[in-house]
Amino acid sequence: MTVIPLKQPSTLQQDVIRLEGIVKGFGGAQALAGASLVVRRGTIHGLVGQNGAGKSTLIKLLAGLHQPDGGRIEIEGQAFDRLTPHLAEELGIHFIHQDRLLVPTFTVGEALFLGREPRIAGTPFLDRRLMQRRAAEILNDYFGVRLPNTALIGDLSTAEKQIVQITRALLNQPKVLVFDEPTAALVRREADILFRLIRRLRDEGVTIIYISHYLNEIEQLCDHVTVLRNGQDVASSPISETSAAAIARLMVERDIQDMFPKPVVALGDEILKVEQLSAPGKYEDVSFTLRRGEVLGLTGLLGSGAKELVRTLFGLEKPASGRIDIGGRPAHLSNPTQATGRNVALVPEDRRRHGIALDLSVKENTSLSSLDRFTRFGFLDRKSEQREVDALIARLQVKASGRDALLRTLSGGNQQKVAIAKWLSRHSEVYLLDEPTVGVDIGSKVEIYTLIGELAARGAGVIVLSSDLPELIGITDRILVFFRGRVVREFASSEATADRVLAESTGSPEGQRHVG
Amino acid sequence: MSAEAEFAPSGFSSVERSGRSAGNIAAAALRFGSLIAFAAILIVFSITAPYFLSVGNIGNVLGQSAISGVLAIGLTIVLIAGGSNVVTGGIDLSLAANMGLSAAVYASLTQLGYGDAVAIAASILTGSLIGLVNAIAVVYAGIVPLLATLAVMNIVAGLELVLTGNTVIPASTPILSALSASDPFGIPVLAYVLIDFTVLATAVVQYTPLGLRLYAIGEFPDAARAAGLPLRRLLAGAFIASGVCGGLAGILSVSYLSGSTTGSGEMLLPVVVTALLGSVFPRRLVPTITGTLLSALLVGFLSNGFQLLNISSTLVSGIQGLLILIVVSATTLLRRQEA
Repeated sequence: MTVIPLKQPSTLQQDVIRLEGIVKGFGGAQALAGASLVVRRGTIHGLVGQNGAGKSTLIKLLAGLHQPDGGRIEIEGQAFDRLTPHLAEELGIHFIHQDRLLVPTFTVGEALFLGREPRIAGTPFLDRRLMQRRAAEILNDYFGVRLPNTALIGDLSTAEKQIVQITRALLNQPKVLVFDEPTAALVRREADILFRLIRRLRDEGVTIIYISHYLNEIEQLCDHVTVLRNGQDVASSPISETSAAAIARLMVERDIQDMFPKPVVALGDEILKVEQLSAPGKYEDVSFTLRRGEVLGLTGLLGSGAKELVRTLFGLEKPASGRIDIGGRPAHLSNPTQATGRNVALVPEDRRRHGIALDLSVKENTSLSSLDRFTRFGFLDRKSEQREVDALIARLQVKASGRDALLRTLSGGNQQKVAIAKWLSRHSEVYLLDEPTVGVDIGSKVEIYTLIGELAARGAGVIVLSSDLPELIGITDRILVFFRGRVVREFASSEATADRVLAESTGSPEGQRHVG
Repeated sequence: MSAEAEFAPSGFSSVERSGRSAGNIAAAALRFGSLIAFAAILIVFSITAPYFLSVGNIGNVLGQSAISGVLAIGLTIVLIAGGSNVVTGGIDLSLAANMGLSAAVYASLTQLGYGDAVAIAASILTGSLIGLVNAIAVVYAGIVPLLATLAVMNIVAGLELVLTGNTVIPASTPILSALSASDPFGIPVLAYVLIDFTVLATAVVQYTPLGLRLYAIGEFPDAARAAGLPLRRLLAGAFIASGVCGGLAGILSVSYLSGSTTGSGEMLLPVVVTALLGSVFPRRLVPTITGTLLSALLVGFLSNGFQLLNISSTLVSGIQGLLILIVVSATTLLRRQEA
C-alpha cells in the first residue's frame, strides 16, 4: 500500500527506456526539474501527474520534439544526448497522440500508409489495392473491425479513428508505444476494447507507456506507475503496491503550503439558482444555488461537463432542459449579450483568445465592455473613462507602465487582472472564472485570490472552475465535483482535501480507499 | 485466432452512423446536381443549336478549352496542396498573367530570330520562375496565397506590358503552326494536347504517393507533419508546378492566337471557375484533375453554346461569376455541416 520512493536500483538490461534527472526549462519556467522515468520491457507503464506536472514535456522529449537542458537519456542501454523525431522512430518509439491526426478525405488505406505508401512493383504508382488489403487485414486481426474499403476517415466515429491511428503505429512494428490520454473521447465499452488491445500488445512484447488522468484506468491497466509532480518524479512503483487514492495524494501534495487569503464573508441572498439543467452528452441534471458573497468551486476532468456548464451560464451553449434563475427572476441565456445584460461576467480560460485584446491598451481593454457608461451625447467622456481605469489599475495592482500600455507587454498574471477588471467596471453580479490562474506566476496568483475574495465581499456571487485543487479548496466555500456529466459530490471546502476531490473527479471515490 | 473472436463482437463497428447521413445526402445532391446541370446544358444546346453535338464542334470545344484547361490544372494542384479554404487556402491568381508573360516571351524570342526550342525552354522557365516567386512569398515569407499571388499577378502583368508595349507581337513557327492545326477529322491538335496533359497530370496527382501527400498537406497539415512529410517543400513544389502550367499555357496561347495576347487577364475568372467547380464532381468533394477537366469542358460548352446561339459573350462571364458563388457557398456550407 505504500508507494516506494524511486531511488531503488533497477535491473539493467530489462529497461527499454531510462530517462534520468531530466531538466528542461521554457523561458523562466522550469517544466522538468530532474525527472526520471524508467520503463521495463514488456510492461504497461502508467505516467500520471496534474496539468503542468511535466508529463507532456517528458513525452515530447522522448519523441524528440523538445531537447533536454540536462539529464541522461538511455534507450535499450544506449546513451543519447538528445533525440530527434527521426531517431525516436528508428529506435521503435511511436506515439498515439490525443488529437487524431488523420486526413478526413482519405480512405482508411490511404490514411494508414501516408508517408510510406506501397507502390506497384516497377512503377511510380500507388498500390491502392495492396493498401486496402493490408488495412483490412490489420484492422480485422487486431480489432475485429471491418470497415468498407471506400470508407473515408471523415465518416468514421471517434473510436474508429482512434483504431486507425493505433493501426498506423502498429504498421511500424513499434517496440515502445506511447498512449497520450487515449480514452478521453471514448465511451466505456470502447475503452474496454482498447484496454484489451493494449494488454495484447504487451503480451506480444511491445512496451507501453500510458498517460491518463483517469486513475482507475491506471489501476486497472498498468503494471507500473510513475507519478510526476512539479517537474519531478515523486514516486515510481509496481501498481500492486499502490492504489488510486495513494496516487492521487502523491499528485497533489505541495512542497510549500500556498497562502490562500480567503476573507470571511457573510452570505447574502440567493443570486443564482440552477435547477435540473441538462444538455445531453455534456451534463445531466445539474442543480445548485449561489448566494451573494459566496465563492463556489467547480472541478472535473476535461469532458466532465463542468466547463460546458460554465459556458451555458454565459449563454455560449444552450441547455436542453432545466431552469436558470438570476436574482430571483428566470434567465434565458441564449447568447453572451443576454448574459451580460443579467450582469453575468465570464473570465475565460483562454484569455488571449477570448478574454482580452492583446493589441489594445490596458485602458481600452478595461473600458471596452462598458463604454456606454462613459458616453455622453454619443461621445466618449475620456476623462471619466481614464479616472475609472486608473482607479481599477490601482485597486487590482496591475503592474503596467501605464494605462496606455499594450496588453501584449504585460505578464500573464497582469493580463488576467485586466480581464477581471473589464467586468468590475460593469458592476457584474455573477462572476464565472474559468481556470483563473492558468499561466500566472505565484505572486500574481495570490493577488488574484485576494481579488476573488474582494468580489465576494462586495456582494457578488463567484463561480470558480479550476483543476488546481489546492487552489480551489483554498479560495472557495463549497466545491461541486463533476464526473462524466454529473455532479457526483459536493464538498464544503473546509472539509475537502485535494486527494479526496481528485479521487471523486477521476471516478475512484473514496469508498475503496484506505489512506494510511 | 482466438483474439479475433474476442475482439469481434465489439461495439466499434456498430458505433452510431446517423447524423452524417444528412451531410452525405447534401454532398450527393451537390455532386449529382452538378452532373445533371452539365447534362441539361448539353441537352438544351444540342436541341437549340444544330451543330452543337457534332464531332467537329466537340473537338472545337476541347481545343478552345486547352489553354484554360492547362491553367486550371495548374491551379488545381495549388488548391490540393494549399487546402480548400477559399481565403487562407491554396490559390494562384498569377496564372493568367503568367500565361500572358510566357506567351510574350515566346513571341518576342521568335521575333528576335530564336528557334522553337529556345522559345519553348524560355517560356517554361518564365512560368517556373513565377511559380518560384509565389512559392517563396507563400511558403517562406508566410504571406496568404490570395495576397501573395495577387501581388505577383500585378508584377507579372507589368513585366508583360514592358516587354510588349501593350501590342500584339505576332509569331509564326513550325511548331506553333503544327499546334494550331487540326487532324484529318477536323479535331484541333490542341484538343489532343489537353487530353494528353490531363492524362499525365492525373497519373502524377491521383496515382502516385507524391499526389497523395499533396492532398495530405492541403487537407490536414498536422496529419502530414505527423507522418513526417516535408510540408514546405511540397507546397513550394505545387506553386512551381502551377507556374510551369502557366508557361505551357503561354506556348499554347501563342500558337492559338499566332502571337502574344494583351488580354491574358480575362482568362483569370474562367480559370478560377473551372478549378473551383472541379471539386463538385468527385465523391470526396476535393479538387481532382479529372474533375477539373470535366468542369473545363462544362465551361467550354457553355461559352460555345452561347456563341452558337449568338448570345452575347458578356453574359458568359456573368454566369461564370454566378457559378463561383454557388459552388463556393455550397461546398463551404457542406464542410461546415460536416465539421
